[in-house]
Amino acid sequence: MRKLFVILAVIFAVLGIIFAILPLGTIAFLPIGIAIISSILAIQNSKLNHKTLPKIILFISAITLLVVIGKVIFVKDVVVPDKQFEQKKVESKKEDIKDLEGL
Amino acid sequence: MKKISLIICFVFTVGFGFSQIKSNERLIYAASYNMSGLMTQLAQVTMTTETIKTSKKAFLHLNWEASTFSKWDSFFKIRDVYETYVDPQTLKPSLYKRNIYEGGYSKTEKYIFNANGKSITSSTQKRNRPETRKTFAIGSSTRDIISTIYKLRTINFAQFKPGQTLSFRIVFDEKEYPVYVKYMGVENVSAGNLGRKQCFKISITAKTDKLRGRDKNLIWITADAAKVPALIRFSIPVGTGQLTLASASGI
Repeated sequence: MRKLFVILAVIFAVLGIIFAILPLGTIAFLPIGIAIISSILAIQNSKLNHKTLPKIILFISAITLLVVIGKVIFVKDVVVPDKQFEQKKVESKKEDIKDLEGL
Repeated sequence: MKKISLIICFVFTVGFGFSQIKSNERLIYAASYNMSGLMTQLAQVTMTTETIKTSKKAFLHLNWEASTFSKWDSFFKIRDVYETYVDPQTLKPSLYKRNIYEGGYSKTEKYIFNANGKSITSSTQKRNRPETRKTFAIGSSTRDIISTIYKLRTINFAQFKPGQTLSFRIVFDEKEYPVYVKYMGVENVSAGNLGRKQCFKISITAKTDKLRGRDKNLIWITADAAKVPALIRFSIPVGTGQLTLASASGI
């Protein structure tokens, strides 16, 4: 049983890290939550001298959780001005007016 | 990925009503996509109107822009523009343009609605391919997507009974589609800076594989004089999502 929880904790901790890097927002809570629960269960099912790995996974998952919470709170959804895009729109509008004059 | 294209693929045209679309209107939406059951904010959609004058007449420029939030730009950048120039009174289109850039895929389309009102001269260019031009026939009441959505806002749904439907025709990707709009009643919906508003709930179905499900493509339009789309929910082959109104000005 310990082995299963450790494997689950590792898989979901890795997924949590990937989701935390990607701008997926609160979706990352799902794998991180499973990783934390699995690592806690792994710790409970481990003998005293075999608790190190699940403890490390738990620590990494907790750090990832903090990173995601930080991103959710501090990283705002903003659109950065895109000069190339704006320039393209200006040129497009000039072309449109030419077309409209011809109608 | 043509998700944003499909988001904007809510379509319908109507042959009655009156223009109540003001110039200098600005509506800003947050576009979310359903990922693993959770709505994730992906992009900002801005709808603006502006009066454009030529030497002969004035047009109302209806413009929709979609841009991914900066955090998504490195992963999947979207810069889409859908625009149409319409008669300010009838909202009948004269020129429609679509310029999309979605994660490396790009496409530009231009439709000139010919004076006879029964044909379109189009030019289309996809990434790294030569431009193609053609002229094709359309119905006299066929419109582009954008002018159709604005036209929908001129309909007085207060006179409709729940379940009552209208049918329309739109042109998209150089093809005409029949579209059906069903009035579903009144609901209260959050409308950004306008607060919680009573809205007309409208369902859209199209005879196309671009919209999925029965009553899964929905628009809530504020039941007031401005008739602002407060919430748009869509179901397309690649998933579901929604546009929620963040702010409205100039209405």
